[in-house]
Amino acid sequence: MNALQAELAISRLIKAPPAAVWRAWAEREHFERWWIPHPIECRAVKLDLRPGGGFETHMREDGGEWRPHVEGCFLAVEPEERLVFTTMLSEGWRPSEPWLALTAVITLAAEDGGTRYSARVMHKTPEDARKHDEMGFEEGWGTAIGQLGEVARILASARAP
Amino acid sequence: MENDSLDKAFHALADPTRRAVIGRLMQGPAAVSQLAGPFGIGLPAFLKHLRVLEESGWIRSEKRGRVRTCHVRPERLLAAERWLTQQRAIWEACTDRLADYVETHLAPEDPA
Repeated sequence: MNALQAELAISRLIKAPPAAVWRAWAEREHFERWWIPHPIECRAVKLDLRPGGGFETHMREDGGEWRPHVEGCFLAVEPEERLVFTTMLSEGWRPSEPWLALTAVITLAAEDGGTRYSARVMHKTPEDARKHDEMGFEEGWGTAIGQLGEVARILASARAP
Repeated sequence: MENDSLDKAFHALADPTRRAVIGRLMQGPAAVSQLAGPFGIGLPAFLKHLRVLEESGWIRSEKRGRVRTCHVRPERLLAAERWLTQQRAIWEACTDRLADYVETHLAPEDPA
């Protein structure tokens, strides 16, 4: 995690082969089951896995109206290995003004009979963080307070050349 | 308002010299002349970096006699860190849901 560059990286060992993890991303009916937390419903309006392909999800609560969730564009698609998308562009590489500007690099690698699943997420700026909150993404919000120590460690290693 | 200032704060960090200045100040306050030393850039250029850091809330400075001393402002570090921690929690939860889903619905049957 590097707060100075607004970048984060996470990693999990999933007990299933890369082909299965890929299906969870690539097939709409599977993707919609995990992308947004219950009980919020998710609809993958665009899940066009090819470079320049649209990526758009909608969400709704309590059977209400569908609202926009994520809108972006896939940049790189290598089945069962790598998936890169950004919210800075929409379908067909068209420039957009996202409410949360990020590029995510998802990688899958076979490990111990399962899949090492890694996500590296680079953010442009933290603007509109509050809007994110309003959109129902409440898991995690306000519960985890960052530790100064982590930033201090990163900063301490960022010495003058 | 707060979002605005966070935006500015992250912009200030785009420059490696400015990141290094904050890194140095984490170890304790320092005079401007002391700070500028290792960077090998002209003082006017260095002062411009300090101004950006000060305006974006990362550091504050005070002048005593002819010496200007800079201090890091921990509340700014906390705000940036807190925001990223929140983003991280969202991705952690999302990845957990993916792992659960795949392991429950898409994993091949265990031969055992």
